[in-house]
Amino acid sequence: MLTLYKARSIITMNESLPRATAVLVRDGMIVEVGEPEHMGPWLRHEEYVVEDQFAEKVICPGFIDPHLHPSMAAVLLPMEFITAMRWKLPWGEVEPVTDAEGFDRRMGALSAKKSVDEPLFIWGYHQLWHGPMSRARIEEIVGDKPTVVWHRSFHELYMNAAAMEMVGVVAAEIKPGMQIDIERGWFFEGGLGYAINRLNPWILAPEKYAAGLKRLKQVVHHGGHTTIGDLATGMFNFSAEAEALSQHLEGDDVPFRTRLVAHGTVLTRGGVPPQQGPELAEALLQRNSHRLHFGRHIKLFSDGAFFSQLAQLQEPGYIDGHHGEWLTTPEILEQHIRAYWHAGYQIHVHVTGDLGLQLTLDILQKMQEEKPRFNHGFTLEHFGFSTPEQIRQIQALGAQVSANVYYLHELSDSYTQNGIGYERASQMARLGSCFRAGINTTVHSDFTMAPAEPLNSMWVAVNRVNHVGNVMGATEAITAQQALQAITLNAAHVIGMADITGSIRAGKRADFTVLDEDPLTCDPLDLRDINICATVFEGKIFPLA
Amino acid sequence: MIKMFTEKPITLIGGYLGAGKTTFINRLLNSGGLPSRTAVLVNDFGDINVDEQLIRSGSKSDQVIGLANGCVCCSIADDLTSALETLKSSAIERVLLECSGVAEPQKARVQCHYPGYYPHASVVLVDALNHQQRCKDKYVGTLVAAQVQQADLIVISKSALNPDFRLQTLQPSIDADDQDAMEVVLGWGSESNHGQSIPPNLAPSFFTRTWQSQLPVSLADLTQRLEDLPGSVQRVKGLVATDAGIIEVQRVGTDTQLTPWTQLPHTAQLGLVIIASAADDLASIDWAS
Repeated sequence: MLTLYKARSIITMNESLPRATAVLVRDGMIVEVGEPEHMGPWLRHEEYVVEDQFAEKVICPGFIDPHLHPSMAAVLLPMEFITAMRWKLPWGEVEPVTDAEGFDRRMGALSAKKSVDEPLFIWGYHQLWHGPMSRARIEEIVGDKPTVVWHRSFHELYMNAAAMEMVGVVAAEIKPGMQIDIERGWFFEGGLGYAINRLNPWILAPEKYAAGLKRLKQVVHHGGHTTIGDLATGMFNFSAEAEALSQHLEGDDVPFRTRLVAHGTVLTRGGVPPQQGPELAEALLQRNSHRLHFGRHIKLFSDGAFFSQLAQLQEPGYIDGHHGEWLTTPEILEQHIRAYWHAGYQIHVHVTGDLGLQLTLDILQKMQEEKPRFNHGFTLEHFGFSTPEQIRQIQALGAQVSANVYYLHELSDSYTQNGIGYERASQMARLGSCFRAGINTTVHSDFTMAPAEPLNSMWVAVNRVNHVGNVMGATEAITAQQALQAITLNAAHVIGMADITGSIRAGKRADFTVLDEDPLTCDPLDLRDINICATVFEGKIFPLA
Repeated sequence: MIKMFTEKPITLIGGYLGAGKTTFINRLLNSGGLPSRTAVLVNDFGDINVDEQLIRSGSKSDQVIGLANGCVCCSIADDLTSALETLKSSAIERVLLECSGVAEPQKARVQCHYPGYYPHASVVLVDALNHQQRCKDKYVGTLVAAQVQQADLIVISKSALNPDFRLQTLQPSIDADDQDAMEVVLGWGSESNHGQSIPPNLAPSFFTRTWQSQLPVSLADLTQRLEDLPGSVQRVKGLVATDAGIIEVQRVGTDTQLTPWTQLPHTAQLGLVIIASAADDLASIDWAS
């Protein structure tokens, strides 16, 4: 049985036929794209139905987020959000709260919705917007309902007395110097570990985690995705994660597929030599199911977290003179890269600063000299700071870029003031240069670092507007066409799935994202507000409200 | 009533990749000289080798190796806080923690202010063969220099391969091959722990002091002063400007070597670092500066 989808317009992302008005699908696969009058030869031979509920809509290739973290999201999503930025979540849009009064008001409202002894977990607090937090402030609003306020960065949290009692914080144990301020109920850095060890029964309990994954499934659908990349499978625990993922992200009701990319250093944890990594990674392929695929991909890490200003920078570094950090000892990173390079893997390296990037490029250069490879897909993940000269190197070495462009929106203003100054802050996520150099380039959310909304990533990449409304680094903006390509075909290339998805052409899976407006002709500032009315995954329609 | 002295001290063993941390820890584990109830925390067991005879039978798992004397060696796989949580209620009295090669002692130290614990000392291994070169590395140069700067005690490894190696800073240092190296490392306490309630058996057993002179001293005076040092002084190291030029002082135990230097390397600091096993003796050294 054939299904003939009709649309106002189909944006195919196939350069040879950029636009069409009909797409013909059989068993989840596209058999022809074009105009209905050309489809006769198929229709004369087989029964078909016309699907015209999208006749007034715009069909795009199914969106792809090539880098997010389902397991981390599963921990966060059961919490309540109070954030300075807007987050569109399936169960309601989180309106930005940008002052202390607003924060307290919303905390009060959330508290009133919960029963007396049901603990309240809030995520998204940031002192810059919401003012100084303390146990006393929380108690003034929620009284003795156990309440935990988590910082947007995840690196600190606050608890009221009831929460501390609930989880078993022993005040007598806390001494000065411990990164715990018991008076303020504040736990940070090392002290955060102490808090998390006690909070685990609430945040990592299997039923919580399962509920979190269910929410993630909704979030992914809501963002219009039909494919995602889990870019560090095993970050908590391989078998537990794999099991939970196959329970919740596999099955006919799941409207997307997931490329699983194993966390390389976890894979060989416990003193296994890096050379044995590829063999262990190979064994993971046996876990593959219809929607969940490990491939010959591996994830490795160079420098520290961008949100914590731990990216490693070349001169002149940070204004206050602090240094970033290495997540992997450079020599050990090289050993891992070498093992997977020689085994023919596609390597994804987390790089945030231009020094972290340079280290990675220098290693890639060495690998090319040891064993030249074409079409190797080596991908630079996050890509916060870079230099124009590095763009040339990336291009010459045949690497690709997967950028968290949201950094520019949320952080470029504060990094201008407290970080690295205007010049470099305005040039984070140097995407225009990547496209001009012909580098395959995509954007991602690293959810929950940024909202898992490809249209939002597209909006930032095209407009380069930061959260205070300034345009930052206008020449690094990309066109709507390039941005749509980034979240579809280019993303498919990065996760090694361009043979089956990422564009609409005969032979690919019928993965569509259906929009009310045309993202290539609308006002670029409206991109993130375009309504997504449905997704289609392998020929099955999943409507969105 | 809160029990006194319940906090366990943590000695951090840091240093860049290849500086000899694992070799040093293997020596500690195999020496049989670990004080009773010590936990040695390492990132993984990859290069850890413990003589089978020292392992308590049936006490070896993927994460823990039990040793004689109530000691254990644990693999923490990047999760320090949960290891500390587990050890908290055990009979363990002190912890030696192997840091990652890219850890900065200051940051790692802060992690050791975990309820029930306190950082006792940051010991950093420095590889005599590669240190100088590594300090110039564009990726890890600043890190390696910071590791040295933030250390309470430096342990120099592989000095046999580069006998001329000298640290350019005035910091207490010992050689990894010294007979008493392990004793000094275990007995080292950070200056910043003053005011900490430390149980007597875990109080630092080594102390250090730096002496710097504004004016050149006479060589005769210097020799005399060194001879007059109290018996508890274990080591004296450094460069002094004298009437006979720059003199390098190296004293281990009672064996003193004075070597004239034709010229002072421009990065080197003048002064002596004195290590003694009695704090009072150090305080009583009354050299005009």
